[in-house]
Amino acid sequence: MTGAPYGRWSPWNAAADGVQVDQLISIIHWFMLVLFVGWGIFFVYCLLRFRSRAGHQASYALPAGKMSKYAEIGVAIFETVLLVGFSIPVWWRYKYDPPKPDRRQEVRAVGEQFAWNFHYPGPDGKFGRTDPHLITASNLLGVDFDNDPVAKDDVVSPTMHVRKELPVYVRISSKDVIHSFYIPAMRVKQDAVPGMEVPVWFTPIRDSDEFRAAIAKDYPLNERFKEKMLRTTMVSMQKYEKGGETIAESGQVISDEIVEKLKTAGTTTVRAAEQDPIQVVCAQLCGANHFKMKAPMSVDTEAQYEAWLKELTTEPQLDLE
Amino acid sequence: MSTSAAHAHPGSGHAHGHGHDHGHPAPGFWSHYVFSTDHKTIGIQYGLTALVFLFLGFCLMLVMRWQLAYPGQPIPVIGGWLPKSIADAGILLPEGYNAFGAMHGTIMVFLAIVPLGVGAFGNYILPLMIGAQDMAFPRLNMASYWSFLPGCVVMFASFFLPGGPAQSGWTSYPPLSNIATSGQTWWLLGMVFLITSSLLGSVNFIVTTIHMRAPGLTMFRLPFFVWAQLVTSFLLLLAFPPLEAAAVLQLMDRVAGTSFFMPEGLIISTKLLTESAGVFQGYSGGGSPLLWQHLFWFLAHPEVYVLILPAMGIVSEVIASNTRKPLWGYKSLVFSVIFLGFMSFVVWAHHMYMTGMGQAISIFFQATTMIISGPSVVILTALLISLWGASIRYTVPMLFATAFLPMFAIGGLTGLPLGLTASDIHLHDTYYVIGHFHYVVAPGTIFAVFAGIYHWYPKVTGRMMNQFLGKAHFWLSFLFINGVFMPMFWSGMAGALRRQYDPLMQLHAETVQGLGVMTSWSAWLLGLTQLLFILNFFWSLKAGAPAGENPWHATTLEWATEYTPPRHGNFAAVPTVHRGPYEYSVPGHAADFVPQHEHA
Repeated sequence: MTGAPYGRWSPWNAAADGVQVDQLISIIHWFMLVLFVGWGIFFVYCLLRFRSRAGHQASYALPAGKMSKYAEIGVAIFETVLLVGFSIPVWWRYKYDPPKPDRRQEVRAVGEQFAWNFHYPGPDGKFGRTDPHLITASNLLGVDFDNDPVAKDDVVSPTMHVRKELPVYVRISSKDVIHSFYIPAMRVKQDAVPGMEVPVWFTPIRDSDEFRAAIAKDYPLNERFKEKMLRTTMVSMQKYEKGGETIAESGQVISDEIVEKLKTAGTTTVRAAEQDPIQVVCAQLCGANHFKMKAPMSVDTEAQYEAWLKELTTEPQLDLE
Repeated sequence: MSTSAAHAHPGSGHAHGHGHDHGHPAPGFWSHYVFSTDHKTIGIQYGLTALVFLFLGFCLMLVMRWQLAYPGQPIPVIGGWLPKSIADAGILLPEGYNAFGAMHGTIMVFLAIVPLGVGAFGNYILPLMIGAQDMAFPRLNMASYWSFLPGCVVMFASFFLPGGPAQSGWTSYPPLSNIATSGQTWWLLGMVFLITSSLLGSVNFIVTTIHMRAPGLTMFRLPFFVWAQLVTSFLLLLAFPPLEAAAVLQLMDRVAGTSFFMPEGLIISTKLLTESAGVFQGYSGGGSPLLWQHLFWFLAHPEVYVLILPAMGIVSEVIASNTRKPLWGYKSLVFSVIFLGFMSFVVWAHHMYMTGMGQAISIFFQATTMIISGPSVVILTALLISLWGASIRYTVPMLFATAFLPMFAIGGLTGLPLGLTASDIHLHDTYYVIGHFHYVVAPGTIFAVFAGIYHWYPKVTGRMMNQFLGKAHFWLSFLFINGVFMPMFWSGMAGALRRQYDPLMQLHAETVQGLGVMTSWSAWLLGLTQLLFILNFFWSLKAGAPAGENPWHATTLEWATEYTPPRHGNFAAVPTVHRGPYEYSVPGHAADFVPQHEHA
C-alpha cells in the first residue's frame, strides 16, 4: 500500500476485508469511465459534425443500427456481474460470516448525542447487565457494576482499543437518535438505530503506529499549527533535546509549553502526527454537534493492548484517558 | 375519445370553440391575476413563486459554503442579519448550519424544482401541446396552487421561530426529528400543504392528457414532454400519500405523545425520555425509526424521478426543434419512461442499505436498482443518437439542452457505486452522494429548466430573451457548476461526510478541505452569474425583440395558438392533428418543418 493514509481518493485500507470493497469501487469506476468516454466521443463528434451551416441539411431518416442495443445488453450483463460476482459475496462476508466467538474481541459501541462509548466485557468475556436507571454522567451506559458479578470486570471507555490482526466483533446501538458507526480506514459503516443492536466485524491489518508514521509531517511552529492543536492532539514523532535537556520524547503529546520550548531552542518545525489517526466518526445527522461526534480508535500491538489493560486498575471504572 | 375532447369542458362553464373573450364578462383583477382558473396564469404563478424559492434555497447554501470553506469565520456583509437561532456574531451556529441544510434540501425539492417542472411548465405547456383550451378541472388547478402557496409561507415563516426551522435534514429521520424544536412541526404542516397541492395537480394532468387531446392526437403522436408529464403525475399521485400519512404520524408523535417512530427506552442526557417532562412523558414506545425511513423513501425515490422526468421532457422538445429532425427512438423513449415510472416504486430501500439490511432484501433492491438504470440509459442514448444526422442550431436553449446530456450521464453513472451495497459501505453519507444527486438535479434538471425558460419565454411573453446574455449565462454557469460539484466525488471517496458543520474536525476530511474551498468559490461565482439571467428575464419583458408566433419554427401545437402570448381559450379553433410531433426536414417539403396541425 503506497501513498498517504488520507488523501484525495480512498483512505488506506486497514481492514482484512476492506480490499474487496476497494476492488469493487475500482472496477465500477473504470466501467463508468469507459461508458462516459465512449458516449462523450460520440457526443462531441455529433456536436461538431452535425452543426448547422450553409448547405447542410438534417436528414429525416433515422439511423438504423444495432449498436445501441448491443451496448445496452453489454451494460446489463456487466452490472449483473458486478452484483452477483462482487457485491453479493462481499455483503455476505460483512453480514453473515462473523468471526468465531473463540477468536475475536468483543466490544459494544453505544452512540449518543454526541459521543461514542465502548463497553468491554473484560476477562470473563461476558457483558455485565445494563440498566437505564443506572445511567449517570460517570456511568454513561448504566452498567450495573455494583450488583452484577459479571459486570465487575467490565470496562467502559470513550476510546476503542482493538488488537492488530485479531477480528473485532462490535455490537452497535444508540441511546437516543440514529447515529452511524463509521471508520473510513476499516471500510465499515453501520447505522446505530435506537431500539436495535446490529453487529459489525472487521480485522485490522495496520496498527496506529503505522498510521502515525505515515501521516507524520514537519509542521512549521506557527499560528496554523496552534489552531490544529486546538482541534486535535498532536504527538511528536521524534526526540527533541537541547543542551542535554529533553524537550519532547518521541510519542509525547505536544503542549503549548513544548512549542514555546522548541521555539526558544531555535527549532522552526516539529515532526508531528495526530495522536489518534484512526477515528470512529458518526455518519448520520444526529443533532447540532453531529460534526464533533468522534472517538479515537487505537489499533494496538499485543504489548500495547496489555499495557492499556494494566493501566486500568482492577476495580471496574470509567476509563478517563 | 378524441371527438369528445373537442367538446368536453368540465368545470369551465363558458362557451367553447374560440379564444375570443366575448360571450362572457372580462374577469376583474383578482380573478384574472390572483384567483385565476386559467392554466397559463396558474403556470406563471407557480413559475414565479418557484423561481423566488429556487433563489432563496440557493442563497441558503451560499451562506453554508462560507462556513464550510472558512470554519468559524464571521460571514461577510450579511452575517449580522441572520436570526439568533442561526448565527451568533455573524458566525453560523451548528444549529443554523443544520437548519439551512435541511431547508435547502426541502426548498429546492418541494418549493422550487417540482413546482417549476410540473407546476409551471406542466401547467402552462401541457394543455397547449394537446390542443386543449384549459385543464380538465380548472378550479382544481387553482386549488392546487393555492394549497402550494400556503405551504411555501409556512416553510418560509418557520425561519423566524425562536428555535429556528426544521434542522433534521430534508429527510427528517426520527427520533431526531421527533425531539427537534418547533420548526419541525411547521415543516410537517408545510409538507401537508405541499403534498396536497401535488395530489390535486396530478389528478388534473392525468385526466387532461387522457381526455382532452385534440382530434387526431393519438397517444403515440404526443410530444415526449407530455408523456414525461403524464408518468410524473402518476408518480406524484401514487407515491406522495404514504409520505403525507407519515408526516401526520410524525406530527402525532411530536405533539400527541404517540410512538409510531419511537422505540422504548430512549435516553436523552442521561434520563429516560418517558421520565422527562413534556409531551413524551408516558409515551409507550414500541415504534420503529425505520418505519419512517420506509414511508419517506417510498415517496422520495419516485420523487427524484419527478425531479428528472419533466426535465427530460423539456430537453427532448428543445433538442427536436433545434436539430431539425425527428427524435430517435420515440417508441423506446415512451416505453422507457413508463417502465422507469413503474420501477421507481420498487427501489426505495437502496437509501437504507446501512440500516442493518440482510442479504435477501438487499439483493432485491440492488437488482431493481440495477434494472432501473436501463431505461435511463435508453432515454439518454436516444437523445444522444438524435444528434446524429442533425443540423444543430446552437440557440441558447439548445446549449442548455445539450449540456444536460453529459451532466445527467455523470449523475446517473455515479449512482452505480451507490446502488450496490458493498461499494455503498464506503460511500454512503459522504460527499460522493451529494455530488451524485446534485449532478442530476443541478446541471441536470436546472439546466433543463433554463432551456425550457429560454425556449418558451417567447410564447409566454411574446418577446425573445437577449442572446448574448443568454450565452454568457450558459457558459459561465456550465463552468462554475462543474466547479461546485465535480470535486465532491474526490471528497466523498476520501471519506468526507455530508452534513458536517466543521469539516476540519475529522482527520480524513482535512486532506480534502482545499476541494471544499474550490466548491465554495465556484458556488459564489455561480450565484453572481445568475444575475445575468435575472437581468435578461426582466429586461426582455419590456425590451426583448418581438418573437412572433413561432420563432423556433417548431412543430408542436403550443406554437399554433391564436395569439402570442396566448389568451384565454388558447386556440382560434380546436386544432386537428394530422401527424407526429417531430416532422422536421421531411423530404419533399419546402419548409424544414411540418406542424402537427397543418393539413396534409
